[in-house]
Amino acid sequence: MTTRRQILKSAAAAPMIVPSVVLGQRAGAVAPSDKITLGGIGIGSRGAHVLSKFLNISQVQFVAICDVRNERREEIKSVADKKYGNHDCQMYDDQYDLLARQDIDAVLIATGDRWHTPLSIIAAQHGKDVYCEKPCSMTIDESWALAAAFKRYNRLYQAGCQRRNGANFILCKQLLRSGALGKLKALYANVGPSVNWPPLPSRDWLAAEELPPKQVLDWDRWLGPAPWRPYHSSYVRGGWRNFYDFHGGGILEWGSHTVDLCQWAADLDDTQPVEYEPVGTNVGPYHVNCRYANGVQLVMRDNGWDGALKTGSCSFRIEGDQGWVETGDQTRIECSDNIRPLLRPTEPASLALENHVKELVRCIAKRQPTSANAAAAANSHVVCHAAFIAYQRGKTLTWDPAKAEFTNDEIANRMRSRALREPWRV
Amino acid sequence: MQQTTQTPQTPQAAKPKPAPPKPPAEFQEGAIATMDAAGLVRILSDSSATEFQKAKACQRAGELGAKEAVPALAALLSSEHLSTYARYGLEPIADPSAGDALRAALPKLKGILQAGVINSLGVRRDEKAVPALSRLVRDSDVNVSRAAIAALGSIGGAASAKELQTLVTRTTGLTKMSAADACLVCAERMLAAGERDQALKMYAFLSNPDIPKPARLGAMNAIISVETAPDRPR
Repeated sequence: MTTRRQILKSAAAAPMIVPSVVLGQRAGAVAPSDKITLGGIGIGSRGAHVLSKFLNISQVQFVAICDVRNERREEIKSVADKKYGNHDCQMYDDQYDLLARQDIDAVLIATGDRWHTPLSIIAAQHGKDVYCEKPCSMTIDESWALAAAFKRYNRLYQAGCQRRNGANFILCKQLLRSGALGKLKALYANVGPSVNWPPLPSRDWLAAEELPPKQVLDWDRWLGPAPWRPYHSSYVRGGWRNFYDFHGGGILEWGSHTVDLCQWAADLDDTQPVEYEPVGTNVGPYHVNCRYANGVQLVMRDNGWDGALKTGSCSFRIEGDQGWVETGDQTRIECSDNIRPLLRPTEPASLALENHVKELVRCIAKRQPTSANAAAAANSHVVCHAAFIAYQRGKTLTWDPAKAEFTNDEIANRMRSRALREPWRV
Repeated sequence: MQQTTQTPQTPQAAKPKPAPPKPPAEFQEGAIATMDAAGLVRILSDSSATEFQKAKACQRAGELGAKEAVPALAALLSSEHLSTYARYGLEPIADPSAGDALRAALPKLKGILQAGVINSLGVRRDEKAVPALSRLVRDSDVNVSRAAIAALGSIGGAASAKELQTLVTRTTGLTKMSAADACLVCAERMLAAGERDQALKMYAFLSNPDIPKPARLGAMNAIISVETAPDRPR
C-alpha cells in the first residue's frame, strides 16, 4: 500500500507539470478557479435567448437545468451539452436540488412571472447570485421582499432590464446628466400596447382540460405560488399572460423595462412618484400620469410606442426645459434640434442583452453591484405596481414613498400584497 | 451626426397575436367584481356556489377588507383548492377577527394547508400566534416546521428570537438553515425597532462557524454595515 508520505516524496523528486489550461495560461482560456458556474430554472424561449448570451462567455460554465416540463429540461441540456461537447448538464425537476449544489455560483431564472420573486429569494438563501427575467415581482410587497433578501444575503441580482446596458439608452441618460437637456421636466415610459396586453388582465379562468401525466407536466409545480385553477394547455404554452393571477398586464409587461429606464436615467432609483392618475379603458390607448415629489412628471403611455418618431418598442423619452431625447429598440435617437449636434453613433440596441449579461459576470467576479440590482428593480417595479393598482381602482391614487403606502385609498393598500399558494412565501 | 438605424429588436415585438381561448360563462367573474360585502358573504356561505364563484368572492372580500366575511372565509381554509383564496381574503383584513380565525384554524389543519395558514400569520406579523408557532417549529412535516420558523422570524420579538436561536443551536441541515435565515429577518426587525444592541448580538450569534454559510456571511456583512453606519452611536 502506498502511503501519503511516499506519494509526497515521489512528487517532490519529480518535476511538477501543471497543464497550462489549469492555470488559465492558454490564449483565451479561463482557469477552472475563475469559472462562474451557472444553473438555469424555468428556461423557455426568452430564457434560452438569455442563456445563449451566457453560453458565449468563456468564463461561464452552464451545468444544470431545472424545469417542471420534461421536454424543456431535455432541450436545454441538449443545447448546453452540444456547446461544451460533453454530457455534463444535469437535469432537475425540483429547484431545491439544483440550488443545493455547492458548485453552482449563480442561477438564471426565466420562469413565468409568478415564480420570479419566490425563486430569486430561495436562490439568495442558498448563497446564489441571480439573473432574473422581468417583471421581477407580482406585487408591491414582493418587490420589497426581493430587495430585502438580496441585501440580507449580500448576493448580486441582475434584473432582466437589459436596456440599462444599451448604448442608445445610456447616451440619452448622459445627455440629461450633462445638463444638455436643462432642468428635467418629464419622463415618458412606453407601456405594453393594449392590443397585446390590456392594462387590466382577466380575472376569469379557462375551461378545465384533462391534466397531462405528471412526468410530462407537473401542474402543481407549474402553478407554484399562484392560486389554484383548473388546468388548461393554453396557460402552459404562454397563454398565462393577461390573467391577473399570473400577469401584471401591459403596465408591468413593458413598464418593468421603461419605467425602470426612466428611474435610472433620472437618478431616481431609490424612490417612487407620489401621484398616479389612470387615463383610458381596457381597450385602445391608455396612460398613467404620475408625478414625483419634486414635480417631475412620469407618463406611462401605450400609444406613443409606434408614433411618428418610430423609435421602436420599449421606448422612453426625457424632456428637459432646454431639449428632449427619445429612443427605443430601433436604436435611433430622436431629439430636439439643439441636441442633435451632441449625438454620436451608438451600437445596436440588440447588443444591450449581451452587455447586460456580461456586466453580471464581471460583477460576480469582482463582487461589485450590478446596474439593475434588486433595490433599483424593487423601486421601479413598485412604481409599475402602484400604476397598475391605480388603473384597477380607476382613480387617482396618492403615495407616500417613505411609508410605502397609498394615502387616499385603503383598498389600494390591501392590493399591495397577495397570499401565495401554500407552501410558498416570500 | 449620423445615427445608426437597426432593424427592430424582436423579443417582444408589438403585433396582434392569435385570439386566445375564451373563458366559459361559468368561469367569468362578472358581477362579483363589484359586489358588496353582503353579496360576497352570501356566495361564500352558499353550498351551491361553485369553486370559481367562491374563489372570486374571496379575492374581492380581501380587497374590500370585509370583516363580515371572516367566518365564511375561515370555513374555506381546509379546502384543497380554495384555501389560498381564503387566505387571500383574510390576510389583508385589518380587523382582529381575521387573525383570530387564522389562529383558530391552526390545530384543525395539517400539511401544506396548515403551512399556508402559518405563512399568513407571518405576513400579518401576528404576535398572538407565537406560542402556537413555537410548538410547530418541531413539526414532523417540513413544510409546516419551515413555515413556522419563517413566521417567527417575520413576527420578530424577544420570544421568537429566543426560540429561533435555540433551534439554530440544536438542529442540523435544512431546519438549521431555515432557523438561521429566520434569525436574520428577526435581527432586521430589531434594527427597525431601534434595538441595535440586540440586533448586533443576534448577528454575532449568526457569525459562528457552524452557521450555514449564506446566513453567516449575511450576518457578518450586516455587522459591518451596522457598525459603519453614519448614524451609529459614538
